[in-house]
Amino acid sequence: MIKFENVIKKYNHQRALDGINLQVHRGEFVSLVGLSGAGKSTLLKLIIGEEIIDGGKIFIDDIDIAQVKKTDLPYLRRKIGMVFQDIKLLPRRTAFENVAFAMEVCGHRLDKIKIEVPKILDLVGLLHKQNSFPNEMSGGEKQRVAIARALSHRPVLLLADEPTGNLDEVNAAEVLDLLMKINQLGTTVILATHASDLVNKIKKRVITIEGGKITIEQQKGKYKL
Amino acid sequence: MLDSISFLRIIKTGITNFVRNLWLSMAATMVMTITLVIFSTLFLLFVLTSYSINTIQNTVDISVYFKIGLAEEQINTIKNEVSQDPKVKEVTYVSASQAFDEFKAKHENDELITQSLNELNENPLPATLHIKASELEDYPVVAEKMQSEQYADFIDKVNFEDNRLIIERLNKVLNFIITFGLALFAVFVLIAVLVIYNTITLTIYNRKEEVEIMRLVGATNWYIRGPFLTESMMYSIFSTIITGLLFIPVFTKVIPAVTNYVSPDVSLYNNSVFNYAYLLLILFGLSVVLSVSSTLFAIRKYLKI
Repeated sequence: MIKFENVIKKYNHQRALDGINLQVHRGEFVSLVGLSGAGKSTLLKLIIGEEIIDGGKIFIDDIDIAQVKKTDLPYLRRKIGMVFQDIKLLPRRTAFENVAFAMEVCGHRLDKIKIEVPKILDLVGLLHKQNSFPNEMSGGEKQRVAIARALSHRPVLLLADEPTGNLDEVNAAEVLDLLMKINQLGTTVILATHASDLVNKIKKRVITIEGGKITIEQQKGKYKL
Repeated sequence: MLDSISFLRIIKTGITNFVRNLWLSMAATMVMTITLVIFSTLFLLFVLTSYSINTIQNTVDISVYFKIGLAEEQINTIKNEVSQDPKVKEVTYVSASQAFDEFKAKHENDELITQSLNELNENPLPATLHIKASELEDYPVVAEKMQSEQYADFIDKVNFEDNRLIIERLNKVLNFIITFGLALFAVFVLIAVLVIYNTITLTIYNRKEEVEIMRLVGATNWYIRGPFLTESMMYSIFSTIITGLLFIPVFTKVIPAVTNYVSPDVSLYNNSVFNYAYLLLILFGLSVVLSVSSTLFAIRKYLKI
């Protein structure tokens, strides 16, 4: 589904990614581990076309990302959900409205939004909080709303960039469980994190990045650094 | 492509942005209004002044009255001589009998005049030449020539109403409008562009989070830009409406008064209704160009898509 061929990304002549070769198949759950600054976030940003590669090729479903026109990028992004460490919810909108917002901007009809949003909130276990504002929710709940928002387009791929970075253990576990559940429902998930205990719990494919290079690849791996 | 739902949502978001920054939006609208008022004032002054100059210029002529009973041949010779002068544009000859008929026709309702005319045995009116010069400054030269010794035996009187002073003054006003007015207009265009640029920049800054999220969940570029353009279109619409309202009295009172003063026979009033719609259209076009271009500059600089 995703294929990296000798991908190079530079920031000010420094190589953030240096010759990445990687293949992710449909339905996989891949953990991307490494220290801060190892290149995990950069790798995810390349997938959604937010950064442009300086060498090599990236294919998503056999489409070369470099060939995607700038005006078509939004449509690519609708196929890919993304969640972040800093969550990025709109503070003046309720959980429902935050999820609905993502559907609105993509031109969905209001009646469809009213049916779909409660379903998605139910999936992340937050239907009872649909009228709560972000400041009335815990960190874990907020991140689950963000996941619900990322799922609103029914993406084939979910990218999670340190989604548990600001959360305590209990909340982090909640979020991780949700990501695994979503993966079981068929969505490919790529999780970038430096939380070793989480990765050890998942027991799925682990890719370790150091200094912009893949150093270790394990099919049912543990965090090793 | 944009569907109608997205279009409506863009408009709605634009209006929300306008209302959320109400004070700033009002300031931007006011500055735009001032610019439009200056433009309209200049435009109308220019049109009225050049209209007045034209009208007055057309009324200027030299009337040459021949001595009564002068032979038709002699008159024709003089007429031909005058026509050959390059400074003369047009010569019209009104014979004594024509003048008499015209005079009678003009006063046919006045019994006293009609009666006294009937008592006359011969035509008391002289034959006349009406001369129009090619250029305004040629009039005194031509008039002087007609008053010279050469024609003293044939010509009774040369009548030349010197409107040049008025016309020169109007020309000065026109030049002033063009130079000073355009400078003032340019200054306000610059101010309007800067104010709108800054207002939109602020809106972009206020909506930074929202824009970032929109981008990440796959909103199209025009969906993100649209509300900012809507907001700037609202400055244009409101400032055009306000300026339009301010200029209603000008169109209903001032313009008819001026045109009536300059040329009582011609009523421009009917025309000015059309001109009003025309002016509104120009104003709207001007304000859209100004606000949309400054918004596009702001978007280009600050809106990361």
